[in-house]
Amino acid sequence: MTENRVVAEGVHKAFGDNEVLKGVSFTVAQGSATTIIGPSGSGKTTLLRALNALDVPDAGVIRVGEVELDFSKPVAKDQLRRYRAQSGFVFQSHNLFPHKTVLQNITEGPIFVQKRSKDEAEAEALELLQQVGLAEKRDQYPYQLSGGQQQRVGIARALALKPKVVLFDEPTSALDPELVGEVLSVIRDLAVEGWTLVIVTHEIQFAKQVSDQVLFTDRGVILEKGPPADVIGDPKEERTRQFLDRILNPL
Amino acid sequence: MLLLAAFLLSACGSPTTNGDNPVKSAGVLRVGTEGVYSPFSYHDPATGQLVGYDVDVARAVAEKLGVKVEFVETPWDSIFAALEANRFDVVANEVTINAERKQKYDLSEPYSVGEGVVVTRANDNSIKTLDDLKGKVAAESATSNWSDVARKAGARVETVEGFTQAIKLLNQGRVDATINDSIAVYAYLAETGDTTVRIAGSVGEKSEQGFAARKNSGLLPDLNKALDELRDDGTLADISQKYLKANASGAPAAGTQAKPKSTWDLILESLGPLAKAAITKTIPLTVISFVIGLVIALAVALARLSSNLVLTNVARFYISIIRGTPLLVQLFIVFYALPELGVKIDPFPAAVIAFSLNVGGYAAEIIRSAIQSIPKGQWEAAETIGLNYVGALRRIVLPQATRVAVPPLSNTLISLVKDTSLASTILVTELLRQAQVIAAPTFEFFALYGTAAVYYWVICLVLSFGQSRVERRLERYVAR
Repeated sequence: MTENRVVAEGVHKAFGDNEVLKGVSFTVAQGSATTIIGPSGSGKTTLLRALNALDVPDAGVIRVGEVELDFSKPVAKDQLRRYRAQSGFVFQSHNLFPHKTVLQNITEGPIFVQKRSKDEAEAEALELLQQVGLAEKRDQYPYQLSGGQQQRVGIARALALKPKVVLFDEPTSALDPELVGEVLSVIRDLAVEGWTLVIVTHEIQFAKQVSDQVLFTDRGVILEKGPPADVIGDPKEERTRQFLDRILNPL
Repeated sequence: MLLLAAFLLSACGSPTTNGDNPVKSAGVLRVGTEGVYSPFSYHDPATGQLVGYDVDVARAVAEKLGVKVEFVETPWDSIFAALEANRFDVVANEVTINAERKQKYDLSEPYSVGEGVVVTRANDNSIKTLDDLKGKVAAESATSNWSDVARKAGARVETVEGFTQAIKLLNQGRVDATINDSIAVYAYLAETGDTTVRIAGSVGEKSEQGFAARKNSGLLPDLNKALDELRDDGTLADISQKYLKANASGAPAAGTQAKPKSTWDLILESLGPLAKAAITKTIPLTVISFVIGLVIALAVALARLSSNLVLTNVARFYISIIRGTPLLVQLFIVFYALPELGVKIDPFPAAVIAFSLNVGGYAAEIIRSAIQSIPKGQWEAAETIGLNYVGALRRIVLPQATRVAVPPLSNTLISLVKDTSLASTILVTELLRQAQVIAAPTFEFFALYGTAAVYYWVICLVLSFGQSRVERRLERYVAR
């Protein structure tokens, strides 16, 4: 029996009057890849950000890795920091630090947060760069890289902290179409290697091939969840079908 | 008027007693004087020493009292403020004795007696008496009594820094006349051989000059006794002869000694002292104030950005005060007003405090907007790799904000270099003040101010060069 890396129960989040998450529950098994799909505004990005406390939920209990928080009570700052340290986050627009080289972007967390030695952190960072195919770019600045390369550095930066779960927020949405493939193949390799992944994406084919579990969110709830063969191959809900139909046959 | 003055003198004389002379107990007589008012108070071009009629009289008085003497050079227009702020004990700067002053200050017996005269350009025959000043423009120091005389005669008064500047304006045709003490005018004519101006007439008013001390200072009996002795033993007459070259009522002696130096020589000789003033005062004042100012600015900018309403409003208020009041007033408050609350700060640190607070207010807004220009995603990325607020600020946001802030902050720095000249008004002998000191006995204001301006320009050139180097370095990570 595999252990769960994420357990979320009844997660609520509102921005002002706009209730974005209306009681969301799901689990993510260790070593599995979960993709979250759904129409825009359905709450999928907010759900992902809740797992890293970039958006702090108003209610609900979430365990990520070894830290469980009950968001219906006030949460102390250091608890929030421990919770956040359980996961790595890859942004849609990569958010690399423009004033730091590729290598410095990756080692910033290990050296200045985890207080590991510079030599060790750099050696590991180089390994990660090799893994994403960018070892020769170590001393370049982000502006010297293509969008796909920048996103791969973003992935390496998230992995460098050795998180229990890696979170991806639409990692290919901001890329030119011909660069999407290189980023998706890196993510697929991570899934094969056994990292635990949660990915918000619009790439339905990719979700089908890579994920062990698909969550379909709609209007603040998870409408359907299960293996891709069910949710994407044979959806039970009418709204899921409509959504997939719009994505796969845009005309 | 005389009766009133006599009444006031006797009225204010009564509370003081002979016994408690604070100067004698301190062992030092602190004397406020202009230092740029030749021949009464100026720096000897040959030795750089502070000399002059009033200066030497003050020295002689201190000797009679058996105490040391210490001179504090202060611009005339703030000399009484400095006296009240207890920067010194007496003013020795040809302070004319009149009823208003007697009401506010302890005035000694006169040690110089002159007559007010109207000075005009030599070729101007339209002014012969005081009445002819009606509708004309006269140049006078703001707080001098000649200013009142000219105004009552119907002249429009242009405010100037002192007598030498008034003569300069007269020469340039910017004003029509200046009224001053006959002694000063004779000394000027004798010293410079200037034939472009002349004494057009008397204002019919004798002027008596004495020392001024704070009200109820307890100094008057001793001061007057010393002056009487100096008058009787001929010392006053000797000093007068030395500086005024003629007796006060006579015509100037023709053909005096040592021909005036050429302007070029004067500029060459001023290069050293001006460089020294720039290096020991102007540059340190700029650098120290800027560094402290930036620290204040960062704190204020962060307070302004914080979610704490009290902090935000305190920061807003501070910025509003600093930007809404003149820098000169801020300097005066730190230097002249704080002593009244018991906080007395030396000139240089006072200037540093005022300039730092000023830079803090202006730079706070620059830093705030620079921090706000950094995308929210940078804060979020810093958070996701585990940095806390301080870490994210220090390692991720501020280095990027620096690039945005350097050009406007350089502006602030370059303005500050020139603003330090305002410190001359609170007794800091920085670059501009040094130029005034050198110019005063020679009346070569244009040459000396011009030289000082070149120094300021060079400092700013170096800073601009430094700015472009810093900018180039900070732009190494930006796509071109």
